[in-house]
Amino acid sequence: MTEPIVQIRELSKLYSHGEIEVIALDRITLDFGAGEFVALMGPSGSGKSTLLHIMAGIDRPTTGQCLVQGTDVATLSETALAEWRNQNVGFVFQTFNLVPVLTAFENVELPLLLTALNARERREHVETALELVGLADRLKHLPRQLSGGQEQRVAIARAIVADPTLIVADEPTGNLDAHSAADVLTLLQRLNREMGKTVIMVTHDPRAASYAQRTVHLEKGELLNEAL
Amino acid sequence: MTIPGFILRNALRNKRRLILTVLSVAISLFLLTILLTALKLMTEPPTTDQASLRIVTRHRVSLANVLPEKYQYRIERMPGVEHVSKFTWLGGIYIDEASSNFAQFACDADRIFRIFPEAVVDPRQEETFVKEKNSCVVGRKLLERFRWKLGDRITFQAGLWPCDVELVIRGVYHSEGLDETLVFFHHDYLDELLGRRGMVGTFWIKVANADVIPDLIARVDAAFHNTDAETKTETERAFQLGFISMMGNVKLFIGSICTVIVFTMLLVTASTMAMAIRERLREISVLKALGFTGMMIFTLILAESCGLALAGGVLGCFGAKILAETLDVYKLSRGFLPMFPVSAEILTVGMLVALGLGVGSSLVPAYTSIRTPVVTGLKELD
Repeated sequence: MTEPIVQIRELSKLYSHGEIEVIALDRITLDFGAGEFVALMGPSGSGKSTLLHIMAGIDRPTTGQCLVQGTDVATLSETALAEWRNQNVGFVFQTFNLVPVLTAFENVELPLLLTALNARERREHVETALELVGLADRLKHLPRQLSGGQEQRVAIARAIVADPTLIVADEPTGNLDAHSAADVLTLLQRLNREMGKTVIMVTHDPRAASYAQRTVHLEKGELLNEAL
Repeated sequence: MTIPGFILRNALRNKRRLILTVLSVAISLFLLTILLTALKLMTEPPTTDQASLRIVTRHRVSLANVLPEKYQYRIERMPGVEHVSKFTWLGGIYIDEASSNFAQFACDADRIFRIFPEAVVDPRQEETFVKEKNSCVVGRKLLERFRWKLGDRITFQAGLWPCDVELVIRGVYHSEGLDETLVFFHHDYLDELLGRRGMVGTFWIKVANADVIPDLIARVDAAFHNTDAETKTETERAFQLGFISMMGNVKLFIGSICTVIVFTMLLVTASTMAMAIRERLREISVLKALGFTGMMIFTLILAESCGLALAGGVLGCFGAKILAETLDVYKLSRGFLPMFPVSAEILTVGMLVALGLGVGSSLVPAYTSIRTPVVTGLKELD
């Protein structure tokens, strides 16, 4: 494994529902190397999405540490964490989550509005990202004018436009047909191989997992086949 | 795309709801503007610079009691007094009750336009008016309303006084500040018709300098102290407000309606904003995941809500102003409202209410949305 970009140490996550406590993650210790493409697999409720959310800084662990590029994300304030996410993490969701009133171009431009880039620089970045995902001719299309696969490729362009080191994908092919799913996975693979992006992907699908270099299995919040 | 552009896109995403929300705010603020203007007209009647040089003497008990005519000669001799005129409200009925919502005053024809110099009348018409005992001068709006002409005979049936009064129109006045719906005629003529002399409703006094007013008021009232008809002298402004107060607590009544309107609007707008934000909870969570901070989200929601409310405010408040200036309010109100000026002050109040609506209606939904964890927001609608 290359130099670890994500270091997880004794990480636990408990959800409390009144008096009932559910252990989502139980003292996980795990590393992800820089430039790796990893698939997180496991049945529903195994804690894979929770682990992904904690690594991406949109959830916090109950105990333990999650260091991403040396930063313990759990210790950052909400504002600092938001800024950190903007600079370091690209998200790809199962349901694409594009803003329906914005065009493909504008959806991809959204994370850049928080940067110091001017309009011309933003345009260059967005066009490059959309070209990379093969949608240079769909700049002005609204999400409803695109197919599911195209929407997901716009979401990938949005995830990479700010040039983050880590791309997290939560069931990115869950809502796609087999052909579109293959396109999206190939795209993620290219981002990993050609651009050196670290991609961590949650999936149920073994075919999707086959695109990754490594597969990590979780069950009932515990790591099955991985150990430091 | 810019952040304001993004806010605009969000605001425009559901056009039907946008139009209904803006219209509901606009209609409410239109009503509010109209009511506030009406309230201002009733509680703070328009005044002119000349009004500050006039005082009014009436019976101490009430306006319904009369004063002896002879008081006029004593008042005239007091220092600082320029002109004094008898001024008695006729309260006559012209055609029918509904058409009679304008005032007719018996006065001293040769002095009344010295006391009200802001009422401009042609000197030849005034001269004729002074000479003919049964003549009158009417306001321009009144002349237009009833399509009268100079020389027309008009008859007022007995109202407050037990006599019909037939007058010949000999003049018309116009004025920037004075109500243009009044009728002035000879007090001597009223005395003659009533078959008695010497009883007057009020005396209107014009002074040379406003500085003398406090002393003069005290001097007039002291002069008639311990008589059968003690007086109460006050400034024209105080007299008008006292007259208005006889209508009851209009201020409280209209104020209550305004409060209900604003409160109802707050609920409607808040409900709309809450619904709009609830629908977008997942999108807001995605924005947060992309790096938008809670404060940024809060600002986006606040700006959108304020934008909608202010758009409604502009439509409602300025719509009311344009309508008031375009329509003939005097004719539409059948003479009840001689003028209807929507002031800059009321427009400012209206726009501040709109802004308050925007802020008030978005606070709770904005706070709730930024407090909702990203993961919860993403899961909730997935």
